[in-house]
Amino acid sequence: MSLIQVKDLYKIYQMGNTEVRALDGVSVSIEKNEYVSIMGPSGSGKSTLMNLIGCLDTPTSGEFFMDGIDVATMGDDELAHIRNKKIGFVFQTFNLLPKSTSLRNVELPLIYNGEIKAHERRDMAISALTRVNLGDRVSHKPNELSGGQRQRVAVARALVNNPAIILADEPTGNLDSKTGEEIMALFDELHKQGNTIILVTHEEHIAAHASRVVRLLDGKIAVDELTKRGKS
Amino acid sequence: MKSFFWENLRIALAELWSHKTRSILTGTGIVIGIIAVSLMSTLINGVDGLFEDSMKFLGRGNLYVEKWPWFGDEDWWTLRNRPRIELDMADEIKERSQYAMVVAAERGRSANLSYKELSAENIYIHGVTANYPEVSTVDVEYGRFFTESEDRTGAQVVLLGSEVAKTLFPQGNPVDKMIFAGSKRFRVIGVLAEMGKFMGAFSNDTQVIIPLATFNKIFHGPWGRRSITVKVPEHLVDDAKEELRGVVRVLRGLKPGEKDNFAINQQNAFRQSYQGIKMAIGGTGMIITALSLLVGGIGIANIMFVSVKERTREIGVRKALGATRSQIQGQFLIEAMLITASGGLVGLIISTLISMGISKFLFPANMSFGVAFMAIALSAGVGLFAGLAPARKGAKLDPIEALRYE
Ligand SMILES: Nc1ncnc2c1ncn2[C@@H]1O[C@H](COP(=O)(O)OP(=O)(O)O)[C@@H](O)[C@H]1O
Ligand SMILES: [Mg+2]
Repeated sequence: MSLIQVKDLYKIYQMGNTEVRALDGVSVSIEKNEYVSIMGPSGSGKSTLMNLIGCLDTPTSGEFFMDGIDVATMGDDELAHIRNKKIGFVFQTFNLLPKSTSLRNVELPLIYNGEIKAHERRDMAISALTRVNLGDRVSHKPNELSGGQRQRVAVARALVNNPAIILADEPTGNLDSKTGEEIMALFDELHKQGNTIILVTHEEHIAAHASRVVRLLDGKIAVDELTKRGKS
Repeated sequence: MKSFFWENLRIALAELWSHKTRSILTGTGIVIGIIAVSLMSTLINGVDGLFEDSMKFLGRGNLYVEKWPWFGDEDWWTLRNRPRIELDMADEIKERSQYAMVVAAERGRSANLSYKELSAENIYIHGVTANYPEVSTVDVEYGRFFTESEDRTGAQVVLLGSEVAKTLFPQGNPVDKMIFAGSKRFRVIGVLAEMGKFMGAFSNDTQVIIPLATFNKIFHGPWGRRSITVKVPEHLVDDAKEELRGVVRVLRGLKPGEKDNFAINQQNAFRQSYQGIKMAIGGTGMIITALSLLVGGIGIANIMFVSVKERTREIGVRKALGATRSQIQGQFLIEAMLITASGGLVGLIISTLISMGISKFLFPANMSFGVAFMAIALSAGVGLFAGLAPARKGAKLDPIEALRYE
């Protein structure tokens, strides 16, 4: 059974008289421990697909199973629960809470988990920060960190809950190319450790880190193939 | 779920701390409202205590037959022209009434007293029958009350109120000393225990008591207060009042259909008119309180809407990381309630200080636990009410749009 199984997924926005088909019949399966990049021109539906897979959004129609669970028909609170337990997000704009320390930011998913005691949360957050080489920046606030460090805090936050999938929407979009490569090295490392990673990018050299690339065009899958790395 | 309360409280504290001025300004309305409500309740409690203390002077089972009613709106001239109360009716009343246990009579007027070169002016001379202690709260501190035979014979003996005793005898025992009331010499036979003031104004300690017969012998003329006190069983006071009215009508020779030309007063009259005043004060206080809490609540709702708007992106992040609607809603509700509860607490502290000042300089007014509890509950309630709409708005935000919000 695939980790993610999407069949005939549609997301249609009604804008006045015209309908926008953000996703126009997408079917795709992603296995555990895959490293997939989603590419395509601006407006092709990459973020929409990402948001659906991340359970931030519900499709207009279509099937979506995660770990064999039907997600397409879930309500708000159930989706929140899945996001908390199974998904780790990394955003282009980091989306850290500006007034909170790295530690507090990384603790957040554990807080909403609701079952983890305060001292365990702290230990888990510190070890996640250590995994992204920020063990010495736990009490810094985002504005005291560089862009690359902020994104690493965001990665630590994404993996602290030990999620089934890490979703990254243009994670290097706001970074210079050197820092971008550092973040990609981090993703490569996480993949090697057994994580499933899906990342959206429009840069070929970023996409080349993945083993599989899905190319979207006008809300449809145009190409779904292995990369050079995936073939080797 | 319990852990969320603390988490949300922590978030709220951090948030309010980072907007200190705004939080203080927002809470001020609540502070004022809570001061209004808790001070008002405390004052009413204090005045209540004062009232009940005063009512002790007028026994619950006492009926007072007098010319003037204590309250009412009868025509002044009609009342004025009523015949005065004949105090010798007292014996007849005792004989004819089924309910009367004790019937005492009294008169009063003021006069100047002196002892050697010391004098006390405008002292209330109270002429009473020997059974007066049975219908009143007077208590002899030292010495003794006068006897029935002293009353019958018009003995020139006097008991001094505690203030009078202090004025005329700054040191030394007044008992057996001779004082002057006007031109008459009286022998002091006792000093009354301190009684305090009636309704916080008229002191009972600046009077002296002499036998009624002595009073009648010395002070001629129609002036001064005259009253017959009839003590009846407390639980039968209403029946007794009706009976007493009949008895007095017969004694005064009133025909059926003729109006009463006397009044039967009782503690109840005070109670009713006091209740009226209390309701008026309380009602005004309620309106002030309600208005200030309403205004304060609107201010808080307004600030909470601003806060939700400012933190749209934060809400998006929290939702993406797994916060449910109710968790987000709780976060903002607790923030609103924290503002109002702190406002309430500050208001409570201020009004406790004010009521301590009142207790010290005016009359006893202590903040009760009940009032304090009500104030805190009320302010938290206002927070809940004011925070609900903004909190729901925040909770309903779409995570994708919230994350995109600039
Ligand atoms: N909330 C929305 N309302 C209307 N149209 C939307 C909305 N979100 C996305 N779209 C449209 O759906 C299409 C795909 O958007 P998106 O998935 O963000 O593209 P990408 O991430 O590939 O640039 C675009 O045409 C976009 O304008
Ligand atoms: Mg996009």
